[in-house]
Amino acid sequence: MQAIEALFPAHNYTLLSLIVLLPLLGAAVNGVFGKRLGKEAVSLLALSVMFIAFALAVVTFFALGHAQEGEQAARFYWKGWEWFHLTRADGSTSTLDVAFSVDALSGTMALIVTGVGFLIHLYSVSYMAEDPGFHRFLTYLNLFIFSMLVLILGDSLPVLFVGWEGVGLCSYLLIGFWFEDEKNAAAGKKAFVTNRIGDFGLLVAMGLLLYYTGGLDWSTIDSGAKNLLTPVQVWPLGSHVPAASLLPQGMENWVNMPRYVSAATLVGLALFLGCAGKSAQLPLYVWLPDAMAGPTPVSALIHAATMVTAGVYLLCRLSFVMVLSPAAMAVVAFTGALTALFAASIAFAQHDIKKVLAYSTVSQLGYMFLGVGVGAFSAGFFHVITHAFFKACMFLGAGSVIHAMHARIHDTDASQDMRNMGGLRKYMPYTFWTFTAAWAAIVGLPLTSGFFSKDEILLKAYTSFIKIPSAALADGTGGSMDVFSWPSWLGTALYAMGLITALMTAFYMTRLYIGTFFGEFKGWKIVKNWQEPAHAHGHDDHGHGHAHHEPGVPLEGPTPHESPWQMWVPLAVLGFLAAFAGFLNAAPLHITPFDSWLEPVFEKASASVQLIEGAEHFELPFLGLAFLSFAGGTGVAYYIYVLQKGKPAQAFVEAMPGFHALVFDKWRVDEIYEEYVIGAVDSLAEFFAWADKWIVDFLLARVTSFLVSTSGTALRFIQTGRVQTYAAVMVLGLGGVGWYFVTPRAEAKLESNDESGVYSLTAPQGLGYSYRWDLNNDGKWDDKEKFGDRTQQSLNLAAKENRTIRLEVKNAFGRSAVRSFNFARPAPDRSGATSRLEGDPGQARRAPEMRQLQKPQEMK
Amino acid sequence: MSSLGYFVEQYVLLAGALFTLGCVGFLVRRNVLVQLMSIELMLNAVNLMLVAFNRQHTADLNGQVFAFFIIAVAAAEVAVGLAIVLAFYRLKSSVQSDEADQLRH
Amino acid sequence: MTVGNVFFVVASVVALFGAFMTIASRSPIRSAVGLLITIVGIAALFLMLNAQFLAAIQLIVYAGAVVVLFVFVIMLLGPDAGDGEGTVVRARVARYGAGAFFLLLSFGAAHLVSRADLSPTRFKIAPAGHGSVEGIGTLLFGSDVIPFELATALLIVAVVGAIAVARGKPHVRHQSKSASPTARMFNGPLMARDAQRPLPTKAERAAKAAGGV
Repeated sequence: MQAIEALFPAHNYTLLSLIVLLPLLGAAVNGVFGKRLGKEAVSLLALSVMFIAFALAVVTFFALGHAQEGEQAARFYWKGWEWFHLTRADGSTSTLDVAFSVDALSGTMALIVTGVGFLIHLYSVSYMAEDPGFHRFLTYLNLFIFSMLVLILGDSLPVLFVGWEGVGLCSYLLIGFWFEDEKNAAAGKKAFVTNRIGDFGLLVAMGLLLYYTGGLDWSTIDSGAKNLLTPVQVWPLGSHVPAASLLPQGMENWVNMPRYVSAATLVGLALFLGCAGKSAQLPLYVWLPDAMAGPTPVSALIHAATMVTAGVYLLCRLSFVMVLSPAAMAVVAFTGALTALFAASIAFAQHDIKKVLAYSTVSQLGYMFLGVGVGAFSAGFFHVITHAFFKACMFLGAGSVIHAMHARIHDTDASQDMRNMGGLRKYMPYTFWTFTAAWAAIVGLPLTSGFFSKDEILLKAYTSFIKIPSAALADGTGGSMDVFSWPSWLGTALYAMGLITALMTAFYMTRLYIGTFFGEFKGWKIVKNWQEPAHAHGHDDHGHGHAHHEPGVPLEGPTPHESPWQMWVPLAVLGFLAAFAGFLNAAPLHITPFDSWLEPVFEKASASVQLIEGAEHFELPFLGLAFLSFAGGTGVAYYIYVLQKGKPAQAFVEAMPGFHALVFDKWRVDEIYEEYVIGAVDSLAEFFAWADKWIVDFLLARVTSFLVSTSGTALRFIQTGRVQTYAAVMVLGLGGVGWYFVTPRAEAKLESNDESGVYSLTAPQGLGYSYRWDLNNDGKWDDKEKFGDRTQQSLNLAAKENRTIRLEVKNAFGRSAVRSFNFARPAPDRSGATSRLEGDPGQARRAPEMRQLQKPQEMK
Repeated sequence: MSSLGYFVEQYVLLAGALFTLGCVGFLVRRNVLVQLMSIELMLNAVNLMLVAFNRQHTADLNGQVFAFFIIAVAAAEVAVGLAIVLAFYRLKSSVQSDEADQLRH
Repeated sequence: MTVGNVFFVVASVVALFGAFMTIASRSPIRSAVGLLITIVGIAALFLMLNAQFLAAIQLIVYAGAVVVLFVFVIMLLGPDAGDGEGTVVRARVARYGAGAFFLLLSFGAAHLVSRADLSPTRFKIAPAGHGSVEGIGTLLFGSDVIPFELATALLIVAVVGAIAVARGKPHVRHQSKSASPTARMFNGPLMARDAQRPLPTKAERAAKAAGGV
């Protein structure tokens, strides 16, 4: 241990880089050279990389434990390089580094990721053995582990976000692994797009955090967290909503007035939006059931154990920020509970084994968020770990069952349908016993891991709440802000929802368990020594949509077989952990090494987490209620499906077909999204298509070209190619030119001088021009109406005087033109240094500075 | 009557009439040969006007020399023009100016 | 009523008559004769205007060469020299319309000029030698010798050009073997359009003139 501490000091813990980069190396080599290396080499590389990463994670874990002997939270740090250096307008700087750090929280998570990841890699080696994309699968798996490790070991939000996006990408690649089938590709796309909507929230949160706390790595956020208690003014619709003036005065003010939220609430809600996308909470959970289109190891690893828990990890990591906003925490807790209840209801009616497990995952994730939302961070995180064990075990077990079904039924949907299974415990003992362990954990059999973790969450849901201590409030700039106070009914409501969900979970999981492993096998008629018919299928024919048997003849097939060791050994490990890992945090028995291990991490946050009065008195009664929910759920399921052979369920479906269809159709949430959200985008696209077709294409392109071509056709009329035509057009032009020469023009040049009042007109010259003036505008021409040669006239105007002058011009051909000109002399400017002359005020004296010249108006 | 022929305006009027006749002939007739003759008419009208004005301003003989050159150039032009008419006839077997529409759109 | 007046009137009438005959005759030979008459009338007017040399030149060159050229060409063309058959009304309207418009312009110009307050100017006595051979010769070989020489060059060019254009291809040349654009340019029809359609016969031209533009 000392050797390790000497080699890898806490501030430059290079092992972190190894842990993160080894899976990347595996992915790179397998991805580029995988096809050439062959299956054995690819699997050896992938497995060994995972194993070494796991070993290093174990070493790190123990090193952390050794370093955390005191109360201080140990943290190992390794910096890759400086990524961004931001300078703000006021000179302050922020630095974003590519750096990794590990503490108790991420160290535990890293163990889970690498350990469960290694087991699932081992499982995949056998499960995907006949798939032509074998090397691609292991590449994607390794890439996923790399991204997940970047996510949990990142020292700052940007690095976490890189990993966040990376796991999203790998999820997309792996869900759509068999992309030739459009259904799978669509499922992958749906996952990615839904994730993206959540990522918007995460980015907004990053921006807010950078602004308020001055940095994005955990230590800077920690030190600047108190700045988040500032109020932010929000005008939801603006301060001058147009239609609001029609409302009565009081309501109008209410619409227009700003709302005050604390920045912490905004950050919390934005972070939770990101988590809702990644961890499949309402309303962004819709991608998780569709993600079952991917291979089963993918569902086990990504959608049960690791990726979907990234959201919980994020909230735990930023626990000290989340508790600054009781409102956001309440939203988190309530959404988690509601999601748990909602998803559990859907799982009641599903027949596909993987779909039931998917909705169960969503439901359990709701539990985790419920735990985190009320401040029980370590309880929620413990549920992450136990869920990883039992859900991964169940998914792998389902995969094992599906593997056996594939021997005869190649259609994807039919091979996963529980109605085609039954009685498999006779044929697949290892799978059966490990699945039993996992089932026991999830339904809450006392002393299993699931029992302890779920019970802890339910207890804390009732007894724990968030309240910022007044000292911390004063420390921040809270000032004039009303902090959200935890409603008194929320604890009861959360507990009720959680308890009912536990009851429902017990019921539908038992239904699944019985339907798969007990009763008669309904898949096909088991024939000893059954031979494959003439046309051979490979085991990787996942895309077949038709049964290869004549209708009317019952399907015959071999005995369902147990899976190879690479598949049931991980099952055994996970099953064991699912059964017994609970004792890491058995709160009722007061054995809580887990809690104390994580205590330094959540120390800051726990200052705001408070328990109601007499919390410890609720422990035993709630234990009893939890046991009752387990017993009730399993008992009722046993009664309906074993004793009554499913008849009450049949009767219910027949009695309420509409309701059953609604629940079976997942409450038609997908259809609502399709209709309103995607439909809105579709309408917009249709509008733009219409605009493109009729406005751009038609008006701007065709109509204009039509106009041009028509005018061309018209103009082409005179292009006859004959000289006579051209001569005729020349004659027309000659006429025009002649007209221009023959008309006289009477435009005169004006010179005006407002200061002196002297205005002069100069008449134009031309061939034989003679002029006639009318200076005093009396209607009669001057000079006895004779035409003369005088081309220039000038006149003096008094101030503010108006005069109109007429000019007639006659040319040599005897044609004449008349024009009149209007002069107006403005009043003199009295500003500036003027002195009043005695006598006539309207005369003479003007301002020394030049005034704006006013052009006299011309009228024809 | 005693003034006829001794005023430049009369010659200008006469030349104008000749020019108008020539131009109208060019615009109206379809026969290329007649069009060429109309052009000759116009040139003659211009010659007449030049000489008439030269008779009014007798300081030098520039008007007549100009007319001389016009005659020379007109002769050359008729020669080449008729050659073109012959070439055109060889192409189209006709001397109608309507047929010469190769540059039509 | 002096000899001069009569002479002027007769010459003007002759010139105008000739012009009218030129533009209004159906037969081209009559138009040529009309041109000849106009030229003679103009020559007479030149005499009236003290332009003896020019009158002689006018007769020699115009009446003696230009009109002869016209007559030769009319003779070469034979019956095809005359006007064709009737044309489309629209084209005829266009042509007569243009002619009428020009007439209108002409009358308008005359009217405008007449309105000008200009007093007519009578010829003064011409100095001796005005318009004589010596006078013109002095100018032509003196101050105007450069235009004179250039006119000579122009005449030579015109001769060469006329020969080049008028010589043409009396024989029908067979298509040259080489297909290069230059070869095709100098042999064969001038335009690809004409290669495809042969020249119309007289009957076809009659049909086309009756039905087309």
